[in-house]
Amino acid sequence: MKNRQPRFHVVKRESAGPGRQLLAYVAAVVLALAVGAVLLQVQGVNPVTFYRQMLTMGIPGSRYPWRAVENFIKLFVPLLIVSLALSLAFKMRFWNIGGEGQFIMGAFWAAFAAMRLGDALPQPLMVLVMALCGALGGGLYGVAAAVLKVRWGTNETLLTLMLNYIALYFLQFFAETKAEWNFFLDPESARPKFVKFPAGAQMITVPIGPFHLNLSLVAALALCGILFVYLNRTKRGFEIAVVGDSPNTARYAGMKVGRIVIRTIFLSAALIGMAGALHISSAGVMSASPTNSVGWTGIVVAWLAKLNTAGILVTSLLITVLQFGCQTASTTYSSIDANFASLLQGVILFIVLAADFFTRFRLVLRGRSRKEAVK
Amino acid sequence: MNDPINVLTLFLFNIVLVNIPLLYGTVGEIVVEKSGSLDLGVEGTMAVGAIFGYLAGCASNSLLVGLAVSFLTAGLCGALFALLTVSLQANQNVTGLTITTFGLGVYFFVGKGLGGSWPAMTGSSALVQGFSAVEIPLLSRLPVLGKVFFSQNALVYLGVAVAVLAWYYLNFTKIGLRLRAVGENPAAADSVGVNILLYKYVHLIAGSGIMGLGGFYMALNMSGSFEGSNCWINGYGWIAIALVIFANWNPAAAVLGTLVFGFFNTLQIYSGALAGAFPGPLGWLNAVPPQLFKALPFMITAVVLVASSVRKREGSGQPAALGLNYFREER
Repeated sequence: MKNRQPRFHVVKRESAGPGRQLLAYVAAVVLALAVGAVLLQVQGVNPVTFYRQMLTMGIPGSRYPWRAVENFIKLFVPLLIVSLALSLAFKMRFWNIGGEGQFIMGAFWAAFAAMRLGDALPQPLMVLVMALCGALGGGLYGVAAAVLKVRWGTNETLLTLMLNYIALYFLQFFAETKAEWNFFLDPESARPKFVKFPAGAQMITVPIGPFHLNLSLVAALALCGILFVYLNRTKRGFEIAVVGDSPNTARYAGMKVGRIVIRTIFLSAALIGMAGALHISSAGVMSASPTNSVGWTGIVVAWLAKLNTAGILVTSLLITVLQFGCQTASTTYSSIDANFASLLQGVILFIVLAADFFTRFRLVLRGRSRKEAVK
Repeated sequence: MNDPINVLTLFLFNIVLVNIPLLYGTVGEIVVEKSGSLDLGVEGTMAVGAIFGYLAGCASNSLLVGLAVSFLTAGLCGALFALLTVSLQANQNVTGLTITTFGLGVYFFVGKGLGGSWPAMTGSSALVQGFSAVEIPLLSRLPVLGKVFFSQNALVYLGVAVAVLAWYYLNFTKIGLRLRAVGENPAAADSVGVNILLYKYVHLIAGSGIMGLGGFYMALNMSGSFEGSNCWINGYGWIAIALVIFANWNPAAAVLGTLVFGFFNTLQIYSGALAGAFPGPLGWLNAVPPQLFKALPFMITAVVLVASSVRKREGSGQPAALGLNYFREER
């Protein structure tokens, strides 16, 4: 008889060392940049100068360097908050890919509040009201999928995906319909165009010399700390971890799994909605497509960071550098699209996904496994 | 042009012409999902198939080369998905989304990079000819329906043929049966000797290849003009994922589903013209916001998804192991 046993088999590792993980990430970034360099060279662009411009994001040598930093922060804050929020859901293996929709809903209801109350309330209160409206709008939109999942086992991946598009077209309706009742649009403009928010609804900025510190950055960083404590030091955070690891264990320990899932998803979606609110408040005007794909990128960031709060902070910063950097660099090089960032991001992620295998599993050769069995 | 019957015919004709890529995407995704993989990379896979298929078709001045290259390059995306999720046990959602990000990145990189040397479709007679209407004898002379269904281009007929073949393959062949077993319960299939690895790889590649054909179709339908800001695929990949659910994982039903989704898709463009042509019965169309028509396919799908999970009916075609990786040692 021919021996048809496979030459090796795959065994789960007991624990993955953080060093191995870090090594994989560094290798992934280096490899992706190398692949990118080859592609740039093919296009006749010098990779060194391109990358230098990308990493410095055009800040040195700019006439308004602080303006660039402010724009960077506007891009960074939504991504950070959304990634943090998504990590809550993913910890419970709830595949919320509806970040886009929840972000839009948050932005929409915040804009609603801004247009209705913007003149009546003082700025700090108004921004707070917007954040709350955004959180409520996003949270309720997201929690629907959680309730259905808990009650009937509806596939949340596919449902939240559908909800993204429903939210998008809902917003487009208000963005494109010129009518008496539509207070979102500029009445002066003949074409449908969003009107700027009243001054009270603009995000608070703290001037530090020539630089205006966007208060949403402070909020996002504070959120990082709060979530870290919530996840690692509170009973509720512990419940999330247990439900994620094994719902049956949680049930056996007397936890109300359904309620925990619904509560956490509401929190997750509410934070995403709040990110939408802060984003449009910083922008000062509503947009028909306000998300800048953070709902998607957030998934990538949360996953790359292994749902670790500190990791998310670092990863979202790096991804923003990549995106913002490519955006500014591509204005100099007409043959390179701003989407070059997506390409690099894709390559990085492919390598990390592949490398993950070797941190989670190990290959055991046939001969050796037999020896181990004897031992 | 303003003749009501003409408007109606043109509307129906466009439902078929514009939305066939959805059928390719959907059938491809059904083949993939039946093997138990939830590939969210349809949009990126179609984009990759579209741009490389189109460029190859132009370079060789041949429709067949274009089709083959779009199938192969999109198939490579499927192979990558298989390598990561099947062999290397990576998370399917993240991998799929990455394929979409990466695919769109490649699309824009290549398109923008070619810049002025981008080939125009008019420069390739074979592509223009291959995408022109083929009148089916006799049937195409039928009033209205003849124009709508029987004087379309060859790729429309190919799409329907692929759907019917896939339907037959999944439901009436031995390999199709085994494939469904892999998607329902891979451990059971493995225990009776089905090569899970092989089945998943082959069908991920083939399914992604079919999606790529849809991308190629869209390239031709857009007359091959590259726009810096918008991808040709323009969200069709995501609609295809919705359509899979709407069609209940049945490729034959996907043909019908494409017409239903296509109806709303096209209605948002034609609602004004239809209301003008039939002011009596269809005048109300003017009052409906076009965004509602865009959202309707997704709303219907969401309702179908919820309703089928509430009823837990026997007939649901959703593979039981959809989205779950199979790890042999965990049996």
